[in-house]
Amino acid sequence: MLKTTTLAMILAGGRVDELDVLTYGRPKSALPFGGVGRVIDFPLSNLMNSGIEQVAILSQYHSYSLINHIGTGAAWDMLGRNRGISILPPYIGSTVKEWYRGSADAVHKNLDFVQFHDPEYILILSGDHIYHMDYDDMITYHAQRDADLTMAFIRIEPSEAYRFGVANISDEDGPRGGRVLDYWEKPREQQADWASLTVYCFKPEVLYRMLALNQQQESFEFGRDIIPVMMNAGLKVYGYKFCGYWGYTRTVDEYWQSNMDLLGDKPLIDIDNWGFRTNLDQRGIRDFQPTIVGDYGTVSNSLIYNGCRIEGTVRNSVLFPGVEIGRNTLVEDSVLFFNNVVGHNCTLKKVVADVNNFYGDHVRIGEGGAAGKVTVVGWNNDVPDQTTVGAGATIWPELTESSWKKQVAAGEVLR
Amino acid sequence: MNSTKNTLVLLLAGGVGSRLNILVQHRAKPAVPFGGLYRIIDFSLSNVTNSRLQKVGVLTQYKPLSLMNHLGSGEAWDLTGRTRGVKILPPRTGARDSDWYKGTADAVRRNIDFIEANPSKEVLILSGDHIYHMDFEVMVEYHRAKKADLTVAMMVVPKSQIHHYGAGTIDEKNRIIDWEEKPKVARTNLASMGIYVFDRDYLLKSLSRNKEEVDFGMHLLPWAIENDNVFAYPFYGYWRDVGTIQAYWQANMDLLNPDSGLLPEQWRIITNVESSHRIYDWPPARYGYKAELHKSMISAGCKIEGTVVNSILAPGVVVEKGAQVRDSILFEGCRVEQEAVVDLSILDKHVEVSARAMVGHGDGHKVASRSAPNHLFTGINVIGKRVTVPEGMHIGRNCSVHGYTAGDNFPGNGLSDGATLEPDGTVS
Repeated sequence: MLKTTTLAMILAGGRVDELDVLTYGRPKSALPFGGVGRVIDFPLSNLMNSGIEQVAILSQYHSYSLINHIGTGAAWDMLGRNRGISILPPYIGSTVKEWYRGSADAVHKNLDFVQFHDPEYILILSGDHIYHMDYDDMITYHAQRDADLTMAFIRIEPSEAYRFGVANISDEDGPRGGRVLDYWEKPREQQADWASLTVYCFKPEVLYRMLALNQQQESFEFGRDIIPVMMNAGLKVYGYKFCGYWGYTRTVDEYWQSNMDLLGDKPLIDIDNWGFRTNLDQRGIRDFQPTIVGDYGTVSNSLIYNGCRIEGTVRNSVLFPGVEIGRNTLVEDSVLFFNNVVGHNCTLKKVVADVNNFYGDHVRIGEGGAAGKVTVVGWNNDVPDQTTVGAGATIWPELTESSWKKQVAAGEVLR
Repeated sequence: MNSTKNTLVLLLAGGVGSRLNILVQHRAKPAVPFGGLYRIIDFSLSNVTNSRLQKVGVLTQYKPLSLMNHLGSGEAWDLTGRTRGVKILPPRTGARDSDWYKGTADAVRRNIDFIEANPSKEVLILSGDHIYHMDFEVMVEYHRAKKADLTVAMMVVPKSQIHHYGAGTIDEKNRIIDWEEKPKVARTNLASMGIYVFDRDYLLKSLSRNKEEVDFGMHLLPWAIENDNVFAYPFYGYWRDVGTIQAYWQANMDLLNPDSGLLPEQWRIITNVESSHRIYDWPPARYGYKAELHKSMISAGCKIEGTVVNSILAPGVVVEKGAQVRDSILFEGCRVEQEAVVDLSILDKHVEVSARAMVGHGDGHKVASRSAPNHLFTGINVIGKRVTVPEGMHIGRNCSVHGYTAGDNFPGNGLSDGATLEPDGTVS
């Protein structure tokens, strides 16, 4: 076996409460995105394009959707004698009795796996974000600076700083990066405008030492617990400055906006040129026929994958395979996941709809109320004819027939 | 070994299919793209998979590279595993230096070693040329119930078309009692689909009888009907031989009409999406603000800014602003630039139609091609692989442009109805 140079560990276990019904049965990393793929396809495609071929995925919340999506790893060329994706779920052992207690604990619990590979660099990243990045360039910088830890940062609006780990970075290497001077995890007051992408490159022995030290604490997160300790100890922590698109997508609004960023004449997310791959075996994506736009179909400023049938009007929307739009139906500013089948004479405005929903005729979703609010429909619902759902409402997954009502108010949560 | 799923499949994929004109200039007919994502052979091969059959030999001869590439390991059709497999069987040199297949039966005869190495009760012989959906498992069961030596799938076609096919007459028990290969005078409307279930031992015996008998329809069938138990298996669904440009175009258009009965997704037709060796997956099709669509099939990876009417677009086709595509079939990676028009045309892979060019212009639909009057006579143009149609160029009707013709080699005054253009600039 060729020795592994870089081992990547993707933290993909998180649910993200703000995404509510969209993460009802899947971790955020398995959330559909971009008309065909899942969020985790972005870091996986980045890894593939960066030439990193040994990957572990740490997963804990409703893992099946993710395991199913990853498959053998062949979709990202990570299947071979020296290449592989391993999914590492929590386990019990003679001394281990509990779930992953945080990101750092998850890595610590799998140190046997890491040490078996004995890599020169350990890349730890989140499976939850939408971006296009050459990790190899960051690792090169890490090596040049002989850093103990190199973290990727992006410039943000200062008012947003409270949501991230933020840092002051020296101008040592200009636009490329510099030494991290100060670091605050989710500061209450604005301190700096470089936010961590939670992409970390560690020197292995430093990581092992820090994780061992952290085990004596009560909290086990990289951002909150590991990095501040490293800063206090005066270790060599470097910041790698990233200036592309970064979709954090932690709220329904942000998730919707990132989808809209795929559209337009000059899309912010240039998915056509990002070297994107997904697993085409998943949900039988490869077996859908091309999309048919029928006699009465109209489509503008939209992304539509194979396997759709459009008899109505689709504007500013993203449609996954298996979506059908009936005659005289308008779908606008919406994201419809796999197999949403919409009847005739319906209107869907600013809707994010999870998989496998059926809508009768004359259904109106996203009407009135507080304008600009995204309406979310959970999976496996059968929306009765004539139903009206106000803007900003949330429909829980798998509602029974009796849970439905003719009018769901704006902002209401139907469950 | 008596389970129907052990039936050995021989898929005849060697035909030239010359009536498909320049679409078969660089590939065998079964490898011709169809319906945006598919190749013609996907239909036969998916029927094999969906009928739970596991062992396939694909007999190739004419330009097999594209076909072999498309089949790959057979994994796309779930034909890999210890008891499954798809094997390419090319002609081999035997006693003489050159032993090309002389006909369908001859091709099978030269692969008797493959049949012997894969024992089965029946052998299913198919052609890789047809668009249809059929459950072979049911056909093999029918063959067994009839205690037949040979069963031939047959369907009713218009009498005016029967001269293209093997024609049979049956009795009330579906036994074939009379047979004529490509009859000049129509006496029946029951046509052979070129799908045969043979008892394996009977097939081996028949093939060893006379080496001069090189064709199933011409030689082996008439003899079998005379002397043994031959039954027709009636088929009623959608089935098309897309051997001519007109039939090929029409079958593609049937995809746009849900009542035609041609439903590849519902039929679970599988293709090998990896055979194009793209490094990345196609993104979803991107429709611009000004896109106008009417009754069309659009594959992933397309970018539509212009107008597309009644057309089939394979992955990666770009239709720029102000461009129009009508009644046409565009293969992978074609580009139609601003204000260009593509009308009633078939564009092979990676054709570039430069700005303001018109491919399919005027009313000369009835002016047949001068070099191939039997291929192109209904108005359809065929533009070969990687041709660049220069800016403002006008191409009439029934024209063909050979693959890899550079823009510089187009005549300045355009191509008139019925013209053929070769890569060196020769117009005939």
